[in-house]
Amino acid sequence: MQQSSILLLFFFLMGIALIVFTYIYLSSKKADQGMSNPLKKRFWFFLILTIIMGIFASVTIPKSPYFAFADKTPAKVIHVAAIQFAFFLSEKAIDREKPSGQQIELPVNEVIEFRVTSFDVNHGFAIYDESNRLITQTQAMPGYVNRLRYKFEEPGKYNVLCLEYCGVAHQLMRTSFVVK
Amino acid sequence: MESKKLKKITAVWIIVVLTLFVISIVLGILMRLNQGGVLHHAPITFYSNMTIHGITMIGIWFVAGMAGINYLMERYVKTSYSANLIALILTVIGVLMLWAVTLIGKFHTAWTFLYPLPLRVMWAQWATPVFLVAMSILTTGWLIWGISMMTQVLKKYSIPQAFAWQHFKKDPAVKTPPFILISMITLVGVVTCLLVAVVLMALYFAEYFSKGSFVNDALLMKNLTYFFGHTIANEMLYLGLAVIYELFSEVGEKPKWKTTWYVALAWNFTLIFILTAFLHHLYMDFVQPEGFQIVGQIASYMASLPAAAVTVFSVWVAVYRIKIKWTLTNLLFFIGVAGWVIGGFGAVIDATISNNIVLHNTQWVPAHFHTYNILGNVLFSLGFFYWFSIQFTDKVVSEKFSKLILSLLIIGGAGFLLAFYIGGADSIPRRFSNYPAEFTTAKPLANIGAAFATIYLIPILILFYNISKRCLKILFPSS
Repeated sequence: MQQSSILLLFFFLMGIALIVFTYIYLSSKKADQGMSNPLKKRFWFFLILTIIMGIFASVTIPKSPYFAFADKTPAKVIHVAAIQFAFFLSEKAIDREKPSGQQIELPVNEVIEFRVTSFDVNHGFAIYDESNRLITQTQAMPGYVNRLRYKFEEPGKYNVLCLEYCGVAHQLMRTSFVVK
Repeated sequence: MESKKLKKITAVWIIVVLTLFVISIVLGILMRLNQGGVLHHAPITFYSNMTIHGITMIGIWFVAGMAGINYLMERYVKTSYSANLIALILTVIGVLMLWAVTLIGKFHTAWTFLYPLPLRVMWAQWATPVFLVAMSILTTGWLIWGISMMTQVLKKYSIPQAFAWQHFKKDPAVKTPPFILISMITLVGVVTCLLVAVVLMALYFAEYFSKGSFVNDALLMKNLTYFFGHTIANEMLYLGLAVIYELFSEVGEKPKWKTTWYVALAWNFTLIFILTAFLHHLYMDFVQPEGFQIVGQIASYMASLPAAAVTVFSVWVAVYRIKIKWTLTNLLFFIGVAGWVIGGFGAVIDATISNNIVLHNTQWVPAHFHTYNILGNVLFSLGFFYWFSIQFTDKVVSEKFSKLILSLLIIGGAGFLLAFYIGGADSIPRRFSNYPAEFTTAKPLANIGAAFATIYLIPILILFYNISKRCLKILFPSS
């Protein structure tokens, strides 16, 4: 699960930092000869860090959502309009003057495209699975349509929360759809 | 005469910052207790508190950094007392206006005031224009201050010297102190982001007064807002680092740090990365040009390289197997650097687009930026404040008492932050006044966060009292 790996990675790195800083601090209580060859060590430290960051960048950038299913034709397109403080989901384009939505049912294991916009302020369109885990999201912006492509591999009920602070009932904005 | 005035105004800055810090922490604890279900504020109260908590925290630690570098800059160049005073007066006015706007007017856009939310008036009618005016006042005062300090540096150092380019050659005739280099680089970033804030305010005023005929572009406004917001927060941290480069060795009674070719290189490159990293705030705006998104991740990653290989490593070299005279000042600096590094891990993880899709606007975000602050930048500034305050008054905090202060800061800070990191991994949204029932860990984590924040507050109150008392002595020396 992505969030678990992220948390573990963070704790691992935090642990290393704590050990290194503590070790260095404790070393200052003892001897007085300083670090040998600091420039050489600094260079290697920099090189190793650069390589690690380079690997992370080249592995993760292609996994960005902008490239997800870019060459596929979505099986279904769902129009999403957000307002203060509700979501409208529809298989048809949503009328700004008379927004309306419908119950949405999506096919499992098919590429779905959500076309997300807002009729007033910035909102967030964030999809949570049945274990209340955030699986994907995009922003709902006035004057723009963000296209989010996703393939649901598990059937079930998915909740949508607003994840961009939008005002006094931001925490109440939600909707849901079913994947079968 | 001049340095007496600078001493006194710095003392005023310190008291103002510490007072507002204590109040803002209390607001934050109230917010967490509301999220934990212990308090039952109306959402509008929560969100107004959230707005002023954020604005105040960023504002005070920014001006703390500016006051710190202004004070130390006097060692190298003559700084302008008027610019410092103007900034102080305008900051106090701006902050008071913002407190009125949020606490009385119930303005609640969050500190990022993301367009078009400030114009969708769901609060007192007067709050929106007063908010825009207050932000303009702050921007004006800080621009005057920033430009003034840059001008004073450039009166003594040429542009290439201010950026330490002569250090790329062997044995340069004129040496640029690291403090001047870092201050200059940071002030370029500060002035740039404040100029962008001017543009942002102008666009807001234009729309506000246009009665509907002029409508801004939401994507442009988002880019401008985050350029301003991210950059000012990032530079706030680097202002603290400038102080560390100047004081760390001195406090430990060791030789002064020098600018080398790699220090010059690192800080010059840092400027480029800082000015482009803000793009990581728009990863979830898929209409943003793809190239900008990738630049955002690369710039965010690369910003960590000079930070780690130069600044952090230099701190390690300055400490490893060196019998340093450890005092509260340099211990605060040292722990702050560790906090900054750990916050950096959280940040780089989030700045990875493929992670951001499941972390964006969850509690991972306040997790990492609170790490940068409460156990990073705040400690840098507290180190400076304490160091300043003991220059002119006698008696220092005892070693035992220092250990108590530091332990409580670390324990309180760590517990408060871990609650946020775990919350982020649990997909709990940020900026929610109350949590949907399905997030079963959300309330307990909020209350744990509040409890540890209270532990953190204790040493802050001690330092507030201790440092403010000394600063008052500096302002009103007893006859």
